[in-house]
Amino acid sequence: MRAMKKRKNRTYLLLSMCIFMLLTAAKDPVITVYLIGDSTVCDQDIKRYPVTGWGTPFADYLMNNVQVKNHAKGGRSTRTFIEENRWQPVADSLKAGDYVLVQFGHNDEAKEPQYAARYTSVPDYKRNLIRFINETRAKNAYPILVTPVSRRVFKLGKAQETHVAYTAAVIELGKEFQVPVIDLDRKSRLLYDQLGELKSKRLFMELDSAEHPIYPLGRSDNTHFNDYGARIIAEIVLNEIKVQQLPLANHVVNSHK
Amino acid sequence: MKTKTCRLQLLTALMLTAIAWLSFKPAQQVIHIYLAGDSTMADKAKSARPEMGWGTRMTDFFDSTVVVVNKAQNGRSTKSFMAEGKWKEIIDVASAGDYVLIQFGHNDEVITKAAYTTEKDFQQNLLQMVKDVRNKKALPVLITPAARRKFDSLGHVVDTHLVYAELVRKVAKRNQVVLIDLAKDSQELLATFGEEESKLLFNHLKPGQNPNYPDGKTDDTHFNEFGARKMAQLVLKALRKSYADLDQRVVKSSWTK
Repeated sequence: MRAMKKRKNRTYLLLSMCIFMLLTAAKDPVITVYLIGDSTVCDQDIKRYPVTGWGTPFADYLMNNVQVKNHAKGGRSTRTFIEENRWQPVADSLKAGDYVLVQFGHNDEAKEPQYAARYTSVPDYKRNLIRFINETRAKNAYPILVTPVSRRVFKLGKAQETHVAYTAAVIELGKEFQVPVIDLDRKSRLLYDQLGELKSKRLFMELDSAEHPIYPLGRSDNTHFNDYGARIIAEIVLNEIKVQQLPLANHVVNSHK
Repeated sequence: MKTKTCRLQLLTALMLTAIAWLSFKPAQQVIHIYLAGDSTMADKAKSARPEMGWGTRMTDFFDSTVVVVNKAQNGRSTKSFMAEGKWKEIIDVASAGDYVLIQFGHNDEVITKAAYTTEKDFQQNLLQMVKDVRNKKALPVLITPAARRKFDSLGHVVDTHLVYAELVRKVAKRNQVVLIDLAKDSQELLATFGEEESKLLFNHLKPGQNPNYPDGKTDDTHFNEFGARKMAQLVLKALRKSYADLDQRVVKSSWTK
């Protein structure tokens, strides 16, 4: 008799646990934020540390019910990202309510002969971005365009625009297709100007030979961010999401404070 | 003729033995670096980012023969670290060839804190730690507390650990323990950055800048990822000088400019 009661109790317990799990799962659907882009966004190999893409710290500030999948990859343009079959798996796995943040340009615009394999003309760049927009929307997911984060180039004490035509193309598409645009190119340049020519170096992979064992010869790089710079850039993206009141803002930690 | 063949055979055999010995040389033993200390060294929760302890960054420097185990904890003094059994966790597992890096002082020296440790007890505790490590045939390293960011009206760095840093030096000298004078090295680093730019190393955040700190933060004790890396680099530099064995285990990298 007692054994039966015990068994019954256990069944109830199991049943209520199942119901509880189902309820919480239904109440809190997990959304996924996909990042597609280049080396300034991607998760970097630990063997290259402290170089850091802004997507890495970005993920730290989203709530636990959000999954961030950083598909960005160093050296990729919109064209090579598609050609290497990096986009299709993202498009295939998108669910309604997911987000895709798109930041390309650094490699699309590379005109030097050694970068011919990645170069993408502006019209092709736009066509590829339109594909990302359309295929994201087809899955009832939300595209967000990000203009390419600025390189650090100073002239007469002023930060220079380094992605002119490609940034303009992103902004144009944003208007045409009513896609939110985070103008990271402009925002990052404002930051470099604010910090000034010397202090803004602190954001980038500027190391002397005595600093980090992974770079025994030092490093001088005005394109790629270090751990600190990547976080500062991620903060800009997170703040723009909030300022533009994009629905994704609800998934940023402390967004209601 | 016969002796010549014999000699050749002998030579070949010797050479083969030498090759065999070289290729079967036992792989380098895996060693541990245990970290005992306070919040300036500890790993942080995700919700505290970008605050970072310098111990977190120690893991990036070594090859696969070194395992860094960061046992440092926010708010701990030598007294509370021992009383809570954290020290025992290290001593129970430390073995010959391991290193134990010890950095305390921030909480020991504050009279108003429960963790407060008198000067006499502080020295006794450090000495006890050194003895415990040596009993395990592991290597103790004493580290003076990392500098707080404090400048006087003339723009000179103020030593905020004057008394307790000196006690660490004293214990190290009296007992022939390897000392890393991080208090001194980090003050020099702060001096080169200057009063304004040294803010970049600490958890200084404007209101609204970082989602984890909606009201901003002005913390001149705790580092961000940049300061943590800089401190770790100082510690590594000193470690490499003192221990040839560790120097050989630092990650080899062929990254160029």
